[in-house]
Amino acid sequence: MQLKISTKDVLSGVFLILVAVVGLYLNQDHSLGTARRMGPGYMPMMTFYLLGGLGVWTLLIGLFSGPDPLEKWTGQDVGSLLAGIAAGAVTYLVAPSIWGFFGQTYNAVGVGILAGMLVFAISPGWRPLAIVCAAVAVFGLTLEKGGFFLALTSLMLLSCVADRTHTLRGVAGLLAFMLALSWYVFIHELDIRVNLWPVL
Amino acid sequence: MRLTRRAALGVPLLGLAAPALAQGWPAQPIRLIVPFAPGGTTDLIARLVAAPLQERLGQPVVIENRPGAGATLGSQMAAQAAPDGHTLLLSNIASHAISPALYGNLRYDALRDFTHIALLTLNPSVIVANPRAGIGSMADLARIHRESPRGLDMASSGAGSSNHLLIVRLGQMLGREINHIPFRGAGPAMTAVIGGQVPLMSDSLPSAAAHIRQGSVRAVAMSSAERHPAFPEVATLREQGFDLVTNSWFGLSGPARLPAPVVERLARDIREILARPDIRARFAEIGGAPGAFSPAEFTAFIAAELAAWAPLVRESGAQPD
Amino acid sequence: MELLLSNLAHGFGVALSLQNLTFALLGALIGTAIGVLPGIGPVATISLLLPITFGLPATTAIIMLAGIFYGAQYGGSTTSILLNLPGEVSSVVTTLEGYKMARNGRAGAALAIAALGSFFAGSVATILVAASGPLLTQVALSFGPADYFSLMLLGLIIACVLAQGSVVKAIGMVVLGVALGLVGTDVQTGQQRFTFGIPELSDGIGFVPIAMGMFGIAEIILNLERPEARSVLKSKVGSLWLTKEEWVRATPAVLRGTVVGSFLGILPGGGASLAAFGSYMMERKISRGRNEFGKGAIEGVAGPESANNAAAQTSFIPLLTLGIPSNAVMALMVGALIIQGIQPGPRMVEAQPDLFWGLIASMWVGNLMLLVINLPMIGMWVKLLQVPYKFLYPSILVFCCIGVYSLNNNVFDVYMTVLFTVFGYMCAKLRLEPAPMLIGFVLGPMMEEHLRRAMLLSRGDWMVFVQRPISATMLAIAAFALVLMALPNIRKGKDQALAG
Repeated sequence: MQLKISTKDVLSGVFLILVAVVGLYLNQDHSLGTARRMGPGYMPMMTFYLLGGLGVWTLLIGLFSGPDPLEKWTGQDVGSLLAGIAAGAVTYLVAPSIWGFFGQTYNAVGVGILAGMLVFAISPGWRPLAIVCAAVAVFGLTLEKGGFFLALTSLMLLSCVADRTHTLRGVAGLLAFMLALSWYVFIHELDIRVNLWPVL
Repeated sequence: MRLTRRAALGVPLLGLAAPALAQGWPAQPIRLIVPFAPGGTTDLIARLVAAPLQERLGQPVVIENRPGAGATLGSQMAAQAAPDGHTLLLSNIASHAISPALYGNLRYDALRDFTHIALLTLNPSVIVANPRAGIGSMADLARIHRESPRGLDMASSGAGSSNHLLIVRLGQMLGREINHIPFRGAGPAMTAVIGGQVPLMSDSLPSAAAHIRQGSVRAVAMSSAERHPAFPEVATLREQGFDLVTNSWFGLSGPARLPAPVVERLARDIREILARPDIRARFAEIGGAPGAFSPAEFTAFIAAELAAWAPLVRESGAQPD
Repeated sequence: MELLLSNLAHGFGVALSLQNLTFALLGALIGTAIGVLPGIGPVATISLLLPITFGLPATTAIIMLAGIFYGAQYGGSTTSILLNLPGEVSSVVTTLEGYKMARNGRAGAALAIAALGSFFAGSVATILVAASGPLLTQVALSFGPADYFSLMLLGLIIACVLAQGSVVKAIGMVVLGVALGLVGTDVQTGQQRFTFGIPELSDGIGFVPIAMGMFGIAEIILNLERPEARSVLKSKVGSLWLTKEEWVRATPAVLRGTVVGSFLGILPGGGASLAAFGSYMMERKISRGRNEFGKGAIEGVAGPESANNAAAQTSFIPLLTLGIPSNAVMALMVGALIIQGIQPGPRMVEAQPDLFWGLIASMWVGNLMLLVINLPMIGMWVKLLQVPYKFLYPSILVFCCIGVYSLNNNVFDVYMTVLFTVFGYMCAKLRLEPAPMLIGFVLGPMMEEHLRRAMLLSRGDWMVFVQRPISATMLAIAAFALVLMALPNIRKGKDQALAG
């Protein structure tokens, strides 16, 4: 049998092994107990060993089931991925000390995701993923203090960036229609508990 | 037809609006945080009280279920809310007596971070047995537990609940550990007892009452100090030689530093609601006695509960982290 | 039999009163609406509407709440088929073949068979509830922890059949799902596991953020990356009704799904969530169209949808006969009854005949209403697919985001959704399938719970799993399923070896 590497399978295997190793490491905090009185760590131990085993198996299969390469990554793809992760992490750590708002609830997480994803979006290959995630993060950031309408508007405006064919009129129409519809469904009918307008 | 909470709660009742307080409280709908999932005993009690309360306050009382982490998630939310009387909490034995001893990293103090307003109801635990298990009294239980090579199994609604701690205490008194079988809630545990998978269960009276009345399980002992008026035929643990009295309780609390007039008004309204015959009847059906504490008495009660449960939790070996 | 008929006649007398009909219709409409909206499930809605029911007679109240419950089951399939957005565990299975059918221009047929199959299964299951509820309760009660464990294990093994590609990777994803399910408070000791001190994780990772992220939003991103796939979707909107061949293929699937679902629905503690994919696995192995699975086989929609609805009806059995709720929706119904001053339980049949038989009759009436509501709407839903995708996807995002937030009124869930969107995207690129993972995620915690409980009861003796007849049977079926699964793979391996 000759080596015909399936990159997808090999990477899948590596991913599963990675999760298993991290899981087993974290599981050291939990007592295993006995078979009769299983501790909190018993099931995780069995699960992660099994996961690791399956990861190894997937990896081995991947060496012979190819070729099945991933899509080509450009230098820009790699660069913006690394820069995005860095930007996200830095923003997450620094943002709370810049504005108190970012220190509340999970706002630091939100602004971290937003910054990371926006940097990530520099490379065109990542743009759909990055823009959609950034849009969802903006929704999370603006909903509680900015209110329902602001959050939905920013979510839709940002997500529209992901599709080049949008026109100004189309987006305006979409905004008006969706704001009215979501107000009717979620506020008027279902009465979910959120602020409609910004609170200061 | 508009089916929203606001419409449903507000419209038919606003006509009956009681005179508002001088400060204009309540100026908006009141959020009552229930730190358990909808459908359980806590939720039920909250809903029983919320309906008459909103009639008196002239503002909707909206129940918000915030379950999680032994009732501490919702309680923490209430502790952090603005003390303007528009956010209240259905405090209970889990959130304000057991979890503080159980969770080392709790983000609230059960006394300092709250204004405790009124005790709503107090109800005992009851030990029930599958009718085919041949256990009709604590003496039967003790004998079978002693003689059986495997010892007895007893189910509870979950680890760290007052019912679990009762099982641990009983085991200590019997000199042999009872095999505790925790379930995810009282419903599944009761199913297992009725189905004969587990012979015994320690359950709160409200969730067990119907099954005892139907005869699908047999009540062995009640954990109250006196016999329970709804079940006068069931002897207490103390009568049967086990000096153990536990009650689970549910109350109304708010964030710390609630304005005194708000507290007084709520305490008075609750007292009057609990005195209503129809409400008393509902509480009696689910096996709870309505509470009658002033805010100061309720606060002192919680302090005593905290002090009483801490050593029990430690001895039980139940730990969340 | 005669008694049953006269009881049912009495029930229909109750259910067909103008007031009860109105509220059954209202419940069905609300249920359909919330089923269509991702993230907003029947539990949240029923708890919102509970106060309204205080003012209604008990029977009317329960009829309306029940209408919401099974209305949501109908509505949930719509978004799964059209937009790959499963709002509940059972609809995950519907996305597998249903969304593929929609992409092939058969959305109308998929929606139609989902509605018709659900109606048929609902009708049969209703009769079953009326005729042998108490008997079936005994079956449910005879399931001990060891039996449940083996049932869950069987469920996990058949979850691997959901995979379209490599079986090993599918098992890997199932186990990964089980691992994700470990996050949260350990039921037995109350200890926090893998929560990193985050209080929101103490009740585990939410199902909806995972499903929304990995299915709905990840699919949007993949569609945005392939503009050409979108135009295909738009141009192909075929006939709304089933072809003759589709009828022939779907009918036996509906029948089999009804049987599987009716049985699994009775079991409290997770039986109902097994129904849909138990049926899927069956169809994939034995139906005529088994070779089309993964490409949009109608059996893969007809069977699971029927099973799901049959289970929804039979899951009322433990509530009606024991007073024990088998899921969160049923728990709310118990609450509603108690507030009305009625104790659900074995004596309810005698004490409240109006309520008991009225509810059963109204289940059937409600199912008929749902069919009448849903069939004409198929045309409208399919038109939704003709909306240009550039307008559709921001709208889907809006509904997903609000739905996810309103689960707990917490933005934490929104960020979890982002996390699982990225993960779902990665899985798509590595050809790792999310469906088996979600099943593992749902069944894993239940399996652990039952395993540990069984071992506590057996004092650490593993033999309990083969000594109990029910458990042993489940394990035998599981072993058989593993062999079945391995067989075609061995064959495929051979073919490849010969060809290569």
